Amino acid sequence: MTTMTRRELLKASATTGLVLAAPAILSAQSKAPINIGTLCPLTGAGGSYGPDMQRSVVAVVERINKAGGIQGRPVQLFHEDDQTSAEAGVRAARKLIDVNKVVAIVSTWASAVTLAVRPLCVEAQVFLIGVSGADAVTQGEHKGYVARTQPNTKLQGTMYAKFVVSKKEWKRVAYLALQTPYARSFGDAFNGIVRAAGATITDDLIYEDKKPSYRSEVTRILATNPDLIMLEGYTPDSVVMAKDIYKAGYKGAILAPSFAVNAKFIEGVGAEVAEGIWNMDRAPLFDSPAYKDFSAAVPRNDTSPYAPQAWDQMSIVALALAAGKGEASGAVIKDNLRAVANPPGSVAYSFADGAKLLAEGKKINYEGASGSCDFDAIGDILSAPFAVQQVRKGKSELVTVINP
Amino acid sequence: MPPIAQYVFNGIVTGGILALPSVAFSLLWRLLRFPNFAVGTYLTVGAYAALVFNAGAHVPLEIAWLGALAATGAVALAVDRIAFRPMRERRPFSLAIASIGVAFVLENLVRFVWGNDFRAYDVPVTRAAVVAGLRIGREQLLILGVAVVLMLLAQAFLLRTRLGVAMRATADNPLLAAVKGVPTERVIAVATFGGGALAGGAGVFLGLDASIDPLMGGSLIISVFAAAILGGIGSAPGALAGALIVGVVEEAGTLLVPPTYKTAIGFVIILTVLLVRPSGLAGSRS
Repeated sequence: MTTMTRRELLKASATTGLVLAAPAILSAQSKAPINIGTLCPLTGAGGSYGPDMQRSVVAVVERINKAGGIQGRPVQLFHEDDQTSAEAGVRAARKLIDVNKVVAIVSTWASAVTLAVRPLCVEAQVFLIGVSGADAVTQGEHKGYVARTQPNTKLQGTMYAKFVVSKKEWKRVAYLALQTPYARSFGDAFNGIVRAAGATITDDLIYEDKKPSYRSEVTRILATNPDLIMLEGYTPDSVVMAKDIYKAGYKGAILAPSFAVNAKFIEGVGAEVAEGIWNMDRAPLFDSPAYKDFSAAVPRNDTSPYAPQAWDQMSIVALALAAGKGEASGAVIKDNLRAVANPPGSVAYSFADGAKLLAEGKKINYEGASGSCDFDAIGDILSAPFAVQQVRKGKSELVTVINP
Repeated sequence: MPPIAQYVFNGIVTGGILALPSVAFSLLWRLLRFPNFAVGTYLTVGAYAALVFNAGAHVPLEIAWLGALAATGAVALAVDRIAFRPMRERRPFSLAIASIGVAFVLENLVRFVWGNDFRAYDVPVTRAAVVAGLRIGREQLLILGVAVVLMLLAQAFLLRTRLGVAMRATADNPLLAAVKGVPTERVIAVATFGGGALAGGAGVFLGLDASIDPLMGGSLIISVFAAAILGGIGSAPGALAGALIVGVVEEAGTLLVPPTYKTAIGFVIILTVLLVRPSGLAGSRS
């Protein structure tokens, strides 16, 4: 057994220190890549959206790197599958943060996943941006490290109400919602605007999940003679509810979220019951230059709102880094997020536009494929376009897009 | 139209669906001396069995319903052989816990085979007719009618047939019945099959009235339990009356309390009966 002298120990630790510090020294060099993680649901309930979201992020990064990177540094992506599960999401986020040393995680989908990885990101000062809708995502202390491009429930309620008010024939509106954490905040925003426009909220009823029938709820609602029922639920309960409403002889209109009134819903209730049901959801900004850019780069089979949001998230993160001085980090992103995304400033529809304007010393305002992407103080977006669809002959057809 | 009448009618239909599993639950409890919480899940099994015949093999729902009766009876029989028979001599508490386990297993088997999505039968949805200010659906009338006929048949079986009498004898005193030559295991097998079939048939009604998903029956067990306790354990007419009362109180209760508390109404009924009249409506002893 040999013993180490104090001098040898010092020498050894100095060398070790140098080796350990090497990545930091490397990353300080101008050409070292900036690491960014994606955490999309490639499998599980979000599995129909995650792959397109990831492809969108990849497409943006390819363009950034082709144009010379961010301040001369290429972006290196690390992809993880959150399996639409909070537990898998946390494991993947740990790996992205601890092993890959990412400065940002983009494009989480399920609220449960975003909420679960949020504390890890805040603690490690990694910027997190996703498409989750639950109000809790941006509430509470997160020091600015969390943002999202999906409207919160209050904004959703507001946009639904805007559509209802625009249809002058709906004067008596009943609010009928499944018991969820957002039923109340959505309803308060919705009812408030509908009332302010002079229509009557005839009933406000929150119902329980998993009941064999909703006949009595429907009896109560119909006794108030509504000409529109705002049905805010998920697909399974909405199927039972819509059937009971139909059986009860209701002939008026129904409005529901598109994520509840989807193809599965129409299959569940049958084309006859589904006929004429209005449904709406957040939409991409179809006629914006950024959306045209996006759809050319990411061909896909649907027009769901998530992939364009992923596109915008990666663009905004890159622009915020480009606007920052010094080391690329989560803190730089959160400090420059609003400076590059919110007005005032010269409008930029892509990273390339924005980077050029930034290099000229101008203030920019990113306008994206999913909307104008302006963030409030807690990281929620201020506005989003909504697509209004109606079920016609067993299929939802786009009727109009309500722009904010 | 006084809305209360509509609520009462809705409650009677819900009660009619509840009555079938409640009678099965109550009679099996009396006979085997433990509450079989898997009865709720037999509804799910029945609903999916009919789905296989109806949507899978394109058999009319009436025939599929008969198939569901047989299939669910067979499943109940298999469950009894595998899970309950080896435990016959254990304390009721152990068996009750085992039945909860059985419910989990069945529910997850259904989930494994058919997935978590809800399904629907291949039948058109029809508008309800308005009779004297009451909205009455064709399916509702059918469900109510068939439920009543099944109840009458079950009662006639218990009172008029040799096997029915043997069943009641075994329920009253299994030892004495066995000594007198009643084939206990055969009686249990028939009762288990019949109970499973009743619950399975109700499951099809439930799927017809609402939709089909893996949790549909299990979530009903509180109401079934309440109906059986209210009616008095072991009494078929009692369970029927209990189910109708639970159905009506649950539906009409939404006039007084928010609909989100519907499930709580079942619990309140259980507590009230246990405090005020533990033997139930029809029971003379507990």
